[in-house]
Amino acid sequence: MRRRLELGAARILVPNAIRQGDVIAVRALVEHPMYTGLFRNVDGTPIPAHFIHDVSVTYGDQEVARFTWTSGISRDPFVEFSLRADREAPLRMTWRDNKGGVFEQATDIKFVSP
Amino acid sequence: MSAFTRRSFVRSSGLAVLALAAKDLRAASWRVGAEGRARDIPWKVQQVLKRLFGDRTVHEGHVQLDVPTVAADGRVVPVLIESDLPMAPEPDSYVKEIHVLVDNNPDIHLAEFRLTPAIGQAFVSTRIKMRMTSPVRAIVETSTGELWGGAAEVRVTVNGCG
Repeated sequence: MRRRLELGAARILVPNAIRQGDVIAVRALVEHPMYTGLFRNVDGTPIPAHFIHDVSVTYGDQEVARFTWTSGISRDPFVEFSLRADREAPLRMTWRDNKGGVFEQATDIKFVSP
Repeated sequence: MSAFTRRSFVRSSGLAVLALAAKDLRAASWRVGAEGRARDIPWKVQQVLKRLFGDRTVHEGHVQLDVPTVAADGRVVPVLIESDLPMAPEPDSYVKEIHVLVDNNPDIHLAEFRLTPAIGQAFVSTRIKMRMTSPVRAIVETSTGELWGGAAEVRVTVNGCG
């Protein structure tokens, strides 16, 4: 059996050693069932659609990317994208689902001292 | 009615060859409602392309789409999309949007990734659900409105959509 889902628990992973100007890979995962609305329970009642449809990525105070998803993204949606680390600033991600849930996570982009 | 002469035969076969050549040139793009490659694209996908991009042509190339040939579980299919188009901070043109389409899913237009030059590289990787064996299409839209696409067939053994 699957462990119980902790809705909205999110992680953002960035590399340990970042130098200014690097294009880094950012990996992010949020725990979410991503129900399509097409599945049924064991007793036959349909499970209503519940999925993340909007993801926003903010670096400092600038929105650098925005994703529009459907229920076709797998459960516990994972996404990896790149980012040009040109300043030390927090990287903030916000996931919004179709039932009004808002999940946030942030990490600091810090440069290693040379 | 004119007789079937050698001259008319040469003329008509020449036209036929030209028509075939024109079709081959078109084969490298997906164009909604046009002949050529568009016939290979299912009607329902053409409708989605039309809604997203209007009558603009999607050219093949500049998109690396990395998907498994066989996906054991349709609930989790890793998809990696990369483009060699420029993503410079001072761009004339950068990759503005990456679209993911799956032909045989209930929701064909599966995801849309809007990027800015601050991203540094046109790259995105995620995991998707697939209902059945079907082509996965990635379409990249640049800020100047150019469309580049790539497609790959993924064989799915377990339905992941319900």
